[in-house]
Amino acid sequence: MIRSSKTWQAVALTAVAGLALSACGTTDTDGGGGDASADECNFKIGVMGALSGANASIVLPSVDGAELALTQWENDECEVTLEKFDTEGDPAKATPVATQIAGDETFIGVIGGAFSGETRATKSIYNDAGVTMISQSATATDLTQEDPVEVFHRVVPYDDYQGAAIAKYLTDELGASQVFVVDNSEAYGEPLADRVEETLGDAMVQRDKTEVGQTDFAPTISKMESAEPDAVFYGGYIAEAAPLLKQMRDAGIDAPFIGGDGLYGADFGNAVGDAGEGAVVMCPCAPIEGDSTFAADYEAEFGAAPGAYAAEGYDVMSVFLAALDDGARTREDVEAFVDGYSGEGLSKTIAFDENGDVPQDAVSYWAYKNEGGTLVPEVEVAP
Amino acid sequence: MDFDALFSGLDRHTLDGITRGSIYALVALGYTMVYGVMKLINFAHSEVFMVGTWAVLGVYTALGVSAGAGLAVVIGATLLALLAAMLASAGTALAVERIAYRPLRKKGAPPLIFLITGIGCSIVLVEIFGQVFKVFFGAPFGRVTVNIPSVLQTKELFTIPGLDLTITNTRVIIIVGAIVMMLALDTFVNKSRLGRGVRAVAQDPDTASLMGVNRERVIMLVFILGGAMAGVAALLYTIQYDITKFDIGFIIGLKAFTAAVLGGIGNLRGALVGGLLLGIAEVYASTIWSSEWANVTAFVVLVVILMFRPTGLLGESLGKARA
Repeated sequence: MIRSSKTWQAVALTAVAGLALSACGTTDTDGGGGDASADECNFKIGVMGALSGANASIVLPSVDGAELALTQWENDECEVTLEKFDTEGDPAKATPVATQIAGDETFIGVIGGAFSGETRATKSIYNDAGVTMISQSATATDLTQEDPVEVFHRVVPYDDYQGAAIAKYLTDELGASQVFVVDNSEAYGEPLADRVEETLGDAMVQRDKTEVGQTDFAPTISKMESAEPDAVFYGGYIAEAAPLLKQMRDAGIDAPFIGGDGLYGADFGNAVGDAGEGAVVMCPCAPIEGDSTFAADYEAEFGAAPGAYAAEGYDVMSVFLAALDDGARTREDVEAFVDGYSGEGLSKTIAFDENGDVPQDAVSYWAYKNEGGTLVPEVEVAP
Repeated sequence: MDFDALFSGLDRHTLDGITRGSIYALVALGYTMVYGVMKLINFAHSEVFMVGTWAVLGVYTALGVSAGAGLAVVIGATLLALLAAMLASAGTALAVERIAYRPLRKKGAPPLIFLITGIGCSIVLVEIFGQVFKVFFGAPFGRVTVNIPSVLQTKELFTIPGLDLTITNTRVIIIVGAIVMMLALDTFVNKSRLGRGVRAVAQDPDTASLMGVNRERVIMLVFILGGAMAGVAALLYTIQYDITKFDIGFIIGLKAFTAAVLGGIGNLRGALVGGLLLGIAEVYASTIWSSEWANVTAFVVLVVILMFRPTGLLGESLGKARA
């Protein structure tokens, strides 16, 4: 008996060891090392976001986009490495990452945070250390409008505009007059749904709130059944949108389903299956032309067509690299360069106002339709 | 607050609540049986349920069935999935017992240690599906929501006249399935020879041993039975929601544990009563306010009931003759 219990202990130990090893494998710290002395140009750029988890498919393509920009960069003087930090989109996991980056002088900039919650939690840490942040996808309004910090910039518009664009799509493109609005009661979904509600006005029939982590939406479904909406908007992320939409279709509600950019990832189609056919995802991102050099280069490098925010990730990296080309060698130089930057990006014309936002007239909003698990560009909407 | 919405569709909301509660109740059985026999909360039980949902997906994938298959295929695939889920969940429960509990029991570890190893097992299982399998096998493993083909599609069976209440096939399967499984388990524990052993160990382990009941075998049996019930719950869950995820057990496990306490932990019928009550309370609250109030209401109900009946609605009594 003693022997067999030893065996079990060995099995358990091996399992734990395997777990620990694989956990190490997730943190991608290629490159590294290399101290930057004054005359040497040897820097790191951090990227912080959900590299794993239910919402990773909204973030990973932008990281690949940034990597592509770095690969294509030609500069004989400087050596730059891109270091990836996985936060799973969780503000609590993002804070130690920010502290680490802020404390390492070789980091001259940060791409991200990818989500609004983690950005809100870390921007003051970066601000204190003077590390320039440019986010490829954090869209919450308050980040720049209510509580701006010096170092935060983003290449996407804020949710006030996205909410208005979504409402416009609902009323103008779908001709909906009885929209049922659902949100996930959290930092991204709730304000976005508020803005949609505000813009819709009388065209909204009912509003319901759900929770992150919820899988049974029966009460929401029965509210929909009595409200008889002609369209349903959901403000939230993929993990809850998938079961909600499935249960709607199961209950025989076939009103069009519209989500925000929180659903703009390849995993949406996978998670929702057949029930997601025809669902619409709105995004402040223009489709990438299939025959463009960027699309071809991206596909050659990563073996897939550019996904969510890939072009934005490329653009953000390009801004940082342009700063180095321009001779920026310290965090202050980079911040000054980025503040004054103006140039043509892949996704839009990029420049930053005093709050760190891109000019709103440079942004285009697109509705993407889920067809057989892929998001296909449908129509451009002006807010 | 919208009480009109609640009262105008009370029958419908009650049915929704019973559907939700049936699954809580089946998972609660695992907590309650283990507690009844060992006075231990098996915190890894939520992952026993999670493994079951993956077994269902595994069977559907291996068979290559998808939505819209013929009736015979649907029935065959569903039964096979049920069997696989029960085996996988019971196997997981047994493995947890072997790895995390039995060695400690042999060494006479204090009760608190069992809770920690249970939580440890729970985290290890979650990470195996969320991380380890992803590294070795790739998709569909990982930290994403996974679609399970809705092999058994929702169809309207009949409408209850006068109530305007539509009954679908999935609802019938979930509610009837859960109740039948609970009755079967209840009968087994109360009537069979092995069940008598379970009750004997629950009442007084030392005397039971003296009377020739093998305590280790009884413990194995309750883990297997509790696991199998979680496997049934896993199939019913996938029929209703068509998804799984590496951490899907967490919330269900928490709710099922609550249901077990609400009904009286250690009491099989209590698990049923607790599960249904919890499900109904949540759906009512979600209807009157919204889903973000479901947990608040459910736990207020729990606290209030425990204030008046500290041992739960039906009391702790796996060992007693009536259960």
